Amino acid sequence: MRALLAAAVAAACLATAGSALAQGEPSAAARVEAFAKLPYWPGYWVSEQYANTTIGGTAAPRPPGSPPLQRLNGFNAPWNEEGKARQAEAARTRGGRRADGWGYPMMMDAATPFQVMITPEEVLIVNAYGETRHIYTDGRPMPAAEDMWPTVWGTSIGHWEGDTLVVETVQVQMPYTYFHGAPSFSEEARYIERIRMDGDRLVMEFTVEDPVTLTGPWSATITHLREEAFDRMVQMDFSNDRTGSENGINTIEPPADEGGE
Amino acid sequence: MRFQFAGAVAVALALTTGSAEAHHSFAMFDLTREVTVSGTVRQFQWTNPHAYIQLVAKDEQGRDVEWSMEMGAPMYLYARGWRPGSLKNGMRISVTLNPLRNGRPGGVVRDVTGPDGKPIGTNR
Repeated sequence: MRALLAAAVAAACLATAGSALAQGEPSAAARVEAFAKLPYWPGYWVSEQYANTTIGGTAAPRPPGSPPLQRLNGFNAPWNEEGKARQAEAARTRGGRRADGWGYPMMMDAATPFQVMITPEEVLIVNAYGETRHIYTDGRPMPAAEDMWPTVWGTSIGHWEGDTLVVETVQVQMPYTYFHGAPSFSEEARYIERIRMDGDRLVMEFTVEDPVTLTGPWSATITHLREEAFDRMVQMDFSNDRTGSENGINTIEPPADEGGE
Repeated sequence: MRFQFAGAVAVALALTTGSAEAHHSFAMFDLTREVTVSGTVRQFQWTNPHAYIQLVAKDEQGRDVEWSMEMGAPMYLYARGWRPGSLKNGMRISVTLNPLRNGRPGGVVRDVTGPDGKPIGTNR
């Protein structure tokens, strides 16, 4: 009798688990169907600002008459008094400061390529420094405030409007603390991106609202081109930043084996 | 110029470099001048955010001076035909660079010529 009861309980548990699985996970066929409806943005994308970068690390000259490219450094943002103070402090300390990586939002306008991996559940954006953004597109809401904390790459939720990926990102650690060329938005900033293909370009329209540092929304559009010369993503850490400072101008520090840091 | 080198040619050029900068300001480099330095590779640092060539060359007194020559990130070098093994310790090369403004032996690399006299990579 006891054995029969145990078997019945086990069977009930299995049935319950199976049912939960069916509700929580799409069938393979449904997932293939969901994939088929999504855009596909293969390749290694570089901000147009850095297209055709030479071995010296600077981009090749753009053709004469090319329209100026917008940047994410925030230099032209409508800063309020707090924002101006932060930007002034950033300008004072930027020279010779070492970075830890690119972080968000600068990894979207950086001298390094990224890939965009689109799945039904999330979009992953990964760069050559191993920096990754997880943009959840499975319909979940933004986590509750008490479930988030500021990070270098923030917390992102996205959804599709046709072939445009719309992303909301919050809880981004002040970008300047991670990368010295980044804007000094506060951790209350809210970033909205609209990302889509336009011909052979990946276009990202950014709008940032920050009640702490801005008088109003700030927008910038960043375009990306495919770098055809990469055959795979090789990730390396940010381990050898030899930028130093001397008399207010940056310089190259000696190598580590000769007394450099 | 602070140093002069056997086999080195200093050429002043008005350059039309791109405005995009790497992960730091290029204010440290004199982008209006190009200097070519010939010497021996002591070390090739294949690292992020920059690669560096440590090149030992003679100064005008015949003393060895080590240059720190900055390049872009390895992913970009790779895309231009460079590999970690493109430079080996002891290799004789010539490097054309924009020198540091502060007179120290360093700069940002524009072109590199290998022992066979041919450019390394494409730089395009």
